[in-house]
Amino acid sequence: MTGLSNNNDMLNDFRWIMDIVQNVDVGLVLLDKNYDIQLWNNFMQNHSSLYAEEVIGKNLFETFPEINEKWFHRKVESIYLLKNSAFTTWEQRPYLFRFNNYRPITGRAEFMYQNSTFIPIQDLTGEISSICLIVYDVTEQAINNLELEAANDKLETISQTDGLTGLLNRKAWEDLLNKEFDRLQRYKEQCSLIIFDIDHFKKVNDSYGHPAGDEVIRRVANITQECVRKTDFSGRYGGEEYVVLLPHTPVSSAKILAERIRKQIEAETISHEGISIKITVSFGLSEYNSSLKSATAWIDSADRALYESKENGRNRVSIFSHPATETTDKKD
Amino acid sequence: MTQTTVLSEDQRDCLQEISNVAMGQAGDHLARLLNSFVVLSIPHVAILTPADIAMAVQAIDEDSVSGICQGFIGGGIAGEAMLLFNDTSFVDLAKLMKFEEELNTLTERELLIDSTNILVGAMLRGIAEQLDIEFSFGPPAIMGQHQQLDKLLVSKNVRWDHTLVVEVNYKIEGYNVQCDLLIVITQSSLPRLFGKLAYLLD
Repeated sequence: MTGLSNNNDMLNDFRWIMDIVQNVDVGLVLLDKNYDIQLWNNFMQNHSSLYAEEVIGKNLFETFPEINEKWFHRKVESIYLLKNSAFTTWEQRPYLFRFNNYRPITGRAEFMYQNSTFIPIQDLTGEISSICLIVYDVTEQAINNLELEAANDKLETISQTDGLTGLLNRKAWEDLLNKEFDRLQRYKEQCSLIIFDIDHFKKVNDSYGHPAGDEVIRRVANITQECVRKTDFSGRYGGEEYVVLLPHTPVSSAKILAERIRKQIEAETISHEGISIKITVSFGLSEYNSSLKSATAWIDSADRALYESKENGRNRVSIFSHPATETTDKKD
Repeated sequence: MTQTTVLSEDQRDCLQEISNVAMGQAGDHLARLLNSFVVLSIPHVAILTPADIAMAVQAIDEDSVSGICQGFIGGGIAGEAMLLFNDTSFVDLAKLMKFEEELNTLTERELLIDSTNILVGAMLRGIAEQLDIEFSFGPPAIMGQHQQLDKLLVSKNVRWDHTLVVEVNYKIEGYNVQCDLLIVITQSSLPRLFGKLAYLLD
């Protein structure tokens, strides 16, 4: 009698354990050493549209060709040897099994993002006889994370951009300049700096109004952006003041670029609400030189050259000449 | 609280011994898995503050160092293992791990996570066995990917002041692979751990 009730207890225990295994809201898959499927719970059945009868006893890789066999073997090898678990997360592989999105209204992903844990299962002798895969649906978390990242990227771009011109703002540009300055301390390379501003800009504002002034500032920025190379960094340094950092560039090449911008702006007629405005710009250039103590000193040197351009009648390019040092930089 | 911030001579010796044994086992397992000889330093047992750990983490901001964390918990003892790969060549690591995919940012991350899981698992398994407990592990997470490192160990975010850290250095012979493993035990698991040690010391 007691034997029978013990059996009943065991059957009962087994039943509720199986009920949990079947109905728990994660995917459970048991694989034997040949990667044949031994258990396929409800979660797996529902999301794969494959009944347990259809997959049990079948080989995992034949049934699910989306799983890279070599990759999977390597993952599992350490489990058998170290008896530890292995993991894969959606950031490395979006999914283990490709399950399509099943929520037409709130589902924002094309497929189910999954984290999976592989755990070793021991047989009665303590040997690892099979591997259990636990598949978690992390779609919600993955989508939120991806959206957050995209939003952060966008915010970062906005925080570095000058609203009026789309150039780098002063802070972002100065960060770049400081980084480049530090780099130049280590690697002796050529690098040039251009600073320029619009001649008699106050007059533009006073005669045509601030909206016209804004249009002028925007147009000068556009021309600058069209002229510089992809590797140059142009920024709006102040009201009508612009800067361009040209890595790997001797001042002779920077001068060619500055002249191109100067001529284009000189030739340009900026129209704003029926008014035509002609302007010119003045440039100061300075090549990096080891005598410069700081990035600020570098800007100052370019600024001094700009001042010289202003003194000598504007609409021209001047180059700062560094005091003679041991460097072999050529000045023209 | 005070006794959890200082290690007695006996406790230190005992932890050192447990770590030595675990390391020996880990070295043996890893050698078989990776078919290479793994050189492990003598584990260093110390009580550290968040600032000490922050110093170790600082180097991760440089390109040459990657940090991966993996949480573990079991038998009333919990913590996080942090693996710092210094001057490690991804190409060599891939060769060692028999990782055949083409290396890009995504696969490099997977390689780091897989390697961490193995190196951490091998060491912690040995420690757990000697303490007669079993750990469950969370998935390893690459530091700096989702959290900004400089904000992680800032005092207001950290709810502990001192804790126990076991440090091991791994080097794989014939490969340009070198890493430091820091096993950081939560402050709240120290009484339980010291209880276990007292039992072993008796």
